[in-house]
Amino acid sequence: MSGIERLPSPHTFSADPEVGTDLAAVDWAATPLGEPEQWPQSLRTAVSILLSSRFSMWMAWGPELTFFCNAAYRRHTLHEKYPWALGRPAREVWAEIWDDIGPRIDTVLSTGEATWDEGLLLFLERAGYPEESYHTFSYSPLRDDEGGLVGMLCVVSEDTDQVIGERRMGTLRDLGSDPSVARTEREMLAFTSRQLGRNQADLPFTLTYLFGDDGRPELAASTGFDNPHPTPGSEGTHPATEPEGTPLATGSDGVYPAPGSDAGGSETGFVSAHRATAPEVWPADRVATGEPVLVELAGEPFAGLPTGVWPDPPTRALVLPLPRQGGTPYGFLVAGLNRHRPFDDSYRGFLELVAGHVAAGIASTRSYRAQQRRAEELAELDRAKTTFFSNISHEFRTPLTLIMGPVEDLRARLTSAGDEVREGIEVIHRNGLRLGKLVNTLLDFSRIEAGRMQARYEPVDLSAVTAELASAFRSAIERAGLTFEVDCPPLPEPVHVDLGMWEKVVLNLLSNALKFTFDGGVRVAVRADGPDAVVTVTDTGVGVPEEEMPRLFERFHRIENARSRSNEGSGIGLALVQELVRLHGGTIAAQSETGRGTSFAIRLPFGHAHLPDYTGVPVAGGSREATPSRPSPVGAASAQPDPATPLSTNADPFLQEALRWLPPGGASPPTRAALEPVAGPVPGTGTSVLVADDNADMRDYLTRLLRSAGHRVTAVVDGRYALDAARAEVPDIVVSDVMMPRLDGLQLVAALRADPRTAGTPVLLLSARAGQEASIEGLDAGADDYLFKPFSAAELLARVRANVDLARLRNHHARWRTALIDSLQEAFFVSDESGAIIEINSAFTDILGYGPEGLPYLPVHPWWPDRESDVEGHRAVADSFAMLLDRPYGAYTIPVVHRDGRRLWAAAAFNQVRDPETGRRVIVGTFRDVTAEQHAVQRDSALAALGLCLSEAENLDGALTAVLAELRDIWQATYVLAAVFDDSSSPAVTCTDPALNWETLPEQRRAALLALRARPVLTPVTEEHAGSGITLEHPAGTMVLWIEPGPARPFSTADETLLALLAGHLGQGLNRIHQIDQQRETALALQRAILGPDRLPSGFAVRYEPATRPLKVGGDWYDTIELADGRIGIVVGDCVGHGLQAATVMGQLRSACRALLLRDSSPARTLMSLDVFAAMLPGAACATVFCGVLDPGTGHLVYSSAGHPPAIVGHPDGSTHLLDQGRSRPVAVRAGAERPEAEFTVPPRATLLLYTDGLVERRRRPLSSGISEASTAVRHGLGTPIEDLATEIMDRLTPDNGYDDDVAVLLYRHPGPLELEFPAESGRLAPVRSALRGWLERCGVDAATTQNILVAAGEACANAIEHGHRDSPGGQIRLRAAATAGDLRLIVTDTGMWKNPDPTANPYRGRGLKLMRAFMQAVTVTSGTSGTIVDMQARIS
Amino acid sequence: MTTALTLTTGPGAVLTAAGEIDMSNAETFAAALTSAVTSAAGSPLTVDLTAVQYLDSAGLAALFVQADHIEVLTGPILAPLLEISGLSEMTTVRWA
Repeated sequence: MSGIERLPSPHTFSADPEVGTDLAAVDWAATPLGEPEQWPQSLRTAVSILLSSRFSMWMAWGPELTFFCNAAYRRHTLHEKYPWALGRPAREVWAEIWDDIGPRIDTVLSTGEATWDEGLLLFLERAGYPEESYHTFSYSPLRDDEGGLVGMLCVVSEDTDQVIGERRMGTLRDLGSDPSVARTEREMLAFTSRQLGRNQADLPFTLTYLFGDDGRPELAASTGFDNPHPTPGSEGTHPATEPEGTPLATGSDGVYPAPGSDAGGSETGFVSAHRATAPEVWPADRVATGEPVLVELAGEPFAGLPTGVWPDPPTRALVLPLPRQGGTPYGFLVAGLNRHRPFDDSYRGFLELVAGHVAAGIASTRSYRAQQRRAEELAELDRAKTTFFSNISHEFRTPLTLIMGPVEDLRARLTSAGDEVREGIEVIHRNGLRLGKLVNTLLDFSRIEAGRMQARYEPVDLSAVTAELASAFRSAIERAGLTFEVDCPPLPEPVHVDLGMWEKVVLNLLSNALKFTFDGGVRVAVRADGPDAVVTVTDTGVGVPEEEMPRLFERFHRIENARSRSNEGSGIGLALVQELVRLHGGTIAAQSETGRGTSFAIRLPFGHAHLPDYTGVPVAGGSREATPSRPSPVGAASAQPDPATPLSTNADPFLQEALRWLPPGGASPPTRAALEPVAGPVPGTGTSVLVADDNADMRDYLTRLLRSAGHRVTAVVDGRYALDAARAEVPDIVVSDVMMPRLDGLQLVAALRADPRTAGTPVLLLSARAGQEASIEGLDAGADDYLFKPFSAAELLARVRANVDLARLRNHHARWRTALIDSLQEAFFVSDESGAIIEINSAFTDILGYGPEGLPYLPVHPWWPDRESDVEGHRAVADSFAMLLDRPYGAYTIPVVHRDGRRLWAAAAFNQVRDPETGRRVIVGTFRDVTAEQHAVQRDSALAALGLCLSEAENLDGALTAVLAELRDIWQATYVLAAVFDDSSSPAVTCTDPALNWETLPEQRRAALLALRARPVLTPVTEEHAGSGITLEHPAGTMVLWIEPGPARPFSTADETLLALLAGHLGQGLNRIHQIDQQRETALALQRAILGPDRLPSGFAVRYEPATRPLKVGGDWYDTIELADGRIGIVVGDCVGHGLQAATVMGQLRSACRALLLRDSSPARTLMSLDVFAAMLPGAACATVFCGVLDPGTGHLVYSSAGHPPAIVGHPDGSTHLLDQGRSRPVAVRAGAERPEAEFTVPPRATLLLYTDGLVERRRRPLSSGISEASTAVRHGLGTPIEDLATEIMDRLTPDNGYDDDVAVLLYRHPGPLELEFPAESGRLAPVRSALRGWLERCGVDAATTQNILVAAGEACANAIEHGHRDSPGGQIRLRAAATAGDLRLIVTDTGMWKNPDPTANPYRGRGLKLMRAFMQAVTVTSGTSGTIVDMQARIS
Repeated sequence: MTTALTLTTGPGAVLTAAGEIDMSNAETFAAALTSAVTSAAGSPLTVDLTAVQYLDSAGLAALFVQADHIEVLTGPILAPLLEISGLSEMTTVRWA
């Protein structure tokens, strides 16, 4: 080496003053080498090379292999053995590893061939314990002056930090690699244990304890223990707990039953064979406070602990809490510590990340479990309720009907029986009525609930109707000794009510008033109040306690201990009243005072504009007394009463009940007959006859006549009422006049024939028009017989009897069929060839709301979805309809619209049959309401869609945006909004409608969101006609999700359940993405740490960026190596693939390349050696590598490329070119073949860019276009400081969706910045100038500019010396000069105070600043307490 | 350690400097200048700076002090500095 001669002999050690001094202090005479003066030249040369090298080296010389080393080796490897080791036999210095290295040294000395070891694990005793360390080194022979082998030189690089960093990172990456969201705690712990068990170097053993419900820790998982098995005792007592108690995992990793689970209690559970697994061994109490505790593993319980991969067990363990957000820890993790590594910040950080990961996993599985359970419970409850209510109708009503029918008969027949028998029958009757009333009320509820309550509104004088209803209660109230005031003056306008419902409202309130009032009275009043009619029912009863008022209208809520006339009651009356009033678009309010009474006020608007589906029904004409009543109060299948039904029929059960409350005495309870309308059917054994005639005299006559013959008669005033009555209860025969208003006799016949239930009912027409034609007309219409007025009584009775008998014979079959079809729970229909629906059953009406009165239903049927607003639904139905007409049979599921506008799903099946009578083809079909099933399907697909959104998202914001869009589509919502309440003043709002944010939201909605925020999480809240919201946990804070429904899709209970489920999943998903983000950050930090290098040579900048998708770190790398001759090795490479595998291969190729370059600084030969190495390393083949060696002084670069994309050079004049020489195949493709080498001299201020293909490769575009873009980026960056340029280039080339491959970038600008630090002494100025002059020359700066810059720099330095350090001599001054293509920047920094120039004290000093400004383009002086910075810039091109 | 500077007097009223002048040796330079001006006894002293590679404001200050008594001989390296500092306005500066 050329520098040796200049070193003054005999100071062989002068190349390094520090180590040299210690070497000089060795008593050499006592060694076989003797005094240094007598050493052979070869030894002196070797020692000089050793000392002057900045690379870590040691050497051994002579018979005892006397030890020498340099400063780098001391710093990196020797540590505490320095300076003791100097001059000692190598065998003594490295006694602890002599078994490993001795044979290698022997090989070198006997064969003269160098050895090569990479990443060799050596246990060095350099810090007071055998320390795990990794070394890559080469031993090469040293020869004496005569050429004999006398020693060895070791060039070594210590890789400990990289190897251990890679190992720990691998564990963390594996921990984060489990893709599943839905897991149980056990599965999570088993997975975690498998991963932790794979790194028994850093984790010789681990124990995971979880706190049970009682707060006591229990062992949940372990790693490292060979065979944690049940204790002998527990095997006997818990044989059934297999396999729960058996460790799940393979190998030595175990998972134990969760605390509190059935499998294994804390006393008798499974205990590991080892004492140390007992929880009481560890400081659980201290860890519970949240701080890790270091435990010395001394003493009995710790004897014989697992050793991991090491020969001896750990001496210390760290006990870490498993942190729970905002609570005491879930438990703790005990990690045995590697006794061969220091317990430093990086080790502690690694363990905290592991514990954090385990805790996050537990949090995730627990909250998942809780949410899962909750959602299932909600769905189950909903199903159960629906099922219960729909079953009630079939299960209660049938037997009730069969009880009440015979009872009515018995009452009629047993009028003459004994009192006891009659009393008994009355009891049965009354209670039957009560039960019927209750069942009907419940049914009303289930109908309201299911949206099937069909109201039929008609305009009435509310005062009159209400007064009439009230009057039914008068006698009962007065009998109770109370006053009864009915104050109902006529109202100015009619109010639209469904009479059946209104009856229930008034009767319930009156019954309630009577029940709770003992003194005073009851008052009913009706008034007009602006646009509303107000009906008040006031009593002077016991009143309602204030605290009960809010729950007054709650279903099934009863006020306990209230004094009342009866303890009976379901607590459902007022709730029903409220629902019924709501259906009328009205409101009900209550006022009450304990002991003073209660007042209910109902407000109903006048007119019908507020009614959603008002279909006008004319006021019942004629007289009420002439209309039929129903024989059984439980016979009503609908809340919709016949408009002609007498009020007292519904009042009957209420009254019967109320009268039972009153004390006996006085008159006996009124008989039913007293309350009945005169024209109701008289009990009798005969056939039931329905008489329709508009002439009252004729009607009376017919009634009398038929009754006299023992028939039961119902009389109505026209055909319409007749039809309704016939449908309500099919009579045995209809006797009808032909000429009637509204619906005449012929039309009545046609309508009766069209309804399958009445098609078989005989009809006897009466007409004043005599003649054959009229007769034929009537018979054509389907009448069974025809009678001309006048007719004899006998003739009429004979014809009635004959027709009934005939019909009975004829209709037996048809009736059976009708009964059968009506009993079907599935909807049934018959359609003709054109698709018109000509027959339906009652389930059809229940499901769709369309009754037989509308038959036939012609296509397009009214239940088809609207062609305009629901295009898809309409098309689906149209397609199915076409199929129905064409195919012989089939099945389909379609969306349909209920009469009230609700959307349903129906699953239908159909068959074509031939009508045996007409021979025409008809289609018979059934369908059921599958809305609930459809919702379940939608729920599953919504969950799947949500899961997809979450798995594809790259960050929290992206996930939220995608999920909101998905939710909007699921509900066809107007918009969906998420407000995250973090700590800032207003919440962060994300919305599918980009125009909406917190400020633009309506004040009302903001308030609603704030209110929701305070609600418990995952509890959906629906605001009527507004939308639904739910609260969930977002990683940044509480999040409120709001769904503003669209008009076509209002929110139902099923939707709320779905929302809760989706919100639960969303919360989970967001937290998981958050965790992945954090893990990715951690992984990236570790990856960058592995990549190094610790210190970049001057003028270089590097950058590594992983692919955008989570955790895709891997195969790319860069490296700079400072070679012994001062040149710098540059390597940029790219391994095939991604992930841990690629990262491992990358690490090995990088180390190999580094070591090979140190041994032989030819890039081509380095790559050829790498070919041989890579051929043996799985996964390394086909890696591409650019390898170069740069002289930083001259810019001279020798390089060779193994299939790597060409480096880009940007010249200061703005031109660029590619380093595309020296190219050859990728690594290990043809090992042994020669590789070319090329040279290039980097011009002053040129920029060199090396990169991996991720920077330039774009899908569907040639590589050359990417390289050309990169060249442009370099050209743009010529004026950018090198340290900022990496970011600039990466940003400029970022694809739209981020980099989908990882990218390594290495930049060099020649020459590297000049950095000098020198003491503030004037004598230092000349060498500083000299260094700066040399650097400016390397920068290619011309002589005149150089002189200017030298003066400016000299003045700045002189000022720093003069002013900055006048009061504190010996301070340091730093000078930094850096060049871009066109500019130079010079910064002089001192640590002293720069005083303002004082012209009187130093007249000439002021000139310094003036000169700086004169010679530089920009000068900035910043003076502060810590020193002064002079920052100057000059153009140099 | 001071910066390398060689000062030669004569022959005649000439002071020749070679090397670099900065604050570490400016006093030496000033002393030599004063002494040479004194020796020149009224006739203008020629200060030959053609061999000076570097001159800073401390050196300039010494020249300013004697500006009335000297003529300066300079090469291309220092010429801009003498111009910008204003010395050329106060004393004769000649190009070698």
